[in-house]
Amino acid sequence: MSETEIIHKLKQGNETAFKELVENYRNMVVNTCFGLIHNTEDAEDVAQDVFIEVFRSVENFRADSKLSTWLYRIAVNRSLNFIRDNKKRRWFQSFDDTIEAKKEELNRLSSSDSENPETSLENSQRALILHEAVDSLPENQRVAFTLNKYEDLPYKEISEVMNLSVSSVESLIHRAKKNLQKKLHHCYKKKCI
Amino acid sequence: MKCKTLHNKLIFFLEGDLPEKEANEMKAHLAECESCAAFAEDMQKTLGIIHIEKSPEVNPFFYTRLKVQMENEEEKTRRSVGFPVWEKVLQPAFFSLLLLAGIYTGIKIGQPVTAETSHSIFAETELVPFLNEMETEPIETFLME
Repeated sequence: MSETEIIHKLKQGNETAFKELVENYRNMVVNTCFGLIHNTEDAEDVAQDVFIEVFRSVENFRADSKLSTWLYRIAVNRSLNFIRDNKKRRWFQSFDDTIEAKKEELNRLSSSDSENPETSLENSQRALILHEAVDSLPENQRVAFTLNKYEDLPYKEISEVMNLSVSSVESLIHRAKKNLQKKLHHCYKKKCI
Repeated sequence: MKCKTLHNKLIFFLEGDLPEKEANEMKAHLAECESCAAFAEDMQKTLGIIHIEKSPEVNPFFYTRLKVQMENEEEKTRRSVGFPVWEKVLQPAFFSLLLLAGIYTGIKIGQPVTAETSHSIFAETELVPFLNEMETEPIETFLME
């Protein structure tokens, strides 16, 4: 089924078209959400919300942009909202809860590769450092960097998702890389690993 | 090339964003400077995590879970559509009334306690002379009679 056909049938409430849409785009949506949220379960939950929103608002979709661009846009907005809500929730959580959550995340990451525990532990520590560095970036830089790195999107497509010019996206990614470099250098000097 | 210059451009070198001339200068410096080479290796490993994390395995029951969630949400909306007045107006009004009734009862229970204490002390002093029969009729007088 082509993209246009899927949209046409979705507008009629066709369930087969919806299933095909989910099968075709679920990896893309989950990967985008994961790039911003850094947690597989949460990313899947947000991805589900994305598809529900698509199903409900497909009538408002005008074929000005590609379906994937529209999906990226919803996925990014939903993920950013999730992060904001989570921050508010964390503010009310105790310090112990936050430490416990970090430990659980570390255990989860290190248990994912049982063949080489040392490499796996090192990778999980590196992942935490990278996630913290990415999370500390300003929102726009984070979105542009994630779409470029996790989804390998070209600057042109990122500019369509973010409603910006290509040069703005270029500048955002350049600044994001500079900031990341600064944070990683700082961490290297402090011997985080 | 100075170490500081390399640190400022390392990420662009690792990503292959630098022009050839600059990239060659970086390579030459990294071959000579051990500390810069260690930092470059560390950063490459950290950035390499993105490639490991890319395309996480999606739950095979993703669509089933999605359908269940959609059904649950539809059910919820259907329920709330049936009783919008109850949920939005009557429920808060009922709980507000309950709260006010609770406060009123509390005040009412609290009031008599202070009023009766003073009254009871006063009443005791008044009643004691009349109730003390020994004062009006001593036992000796009673037995003599």
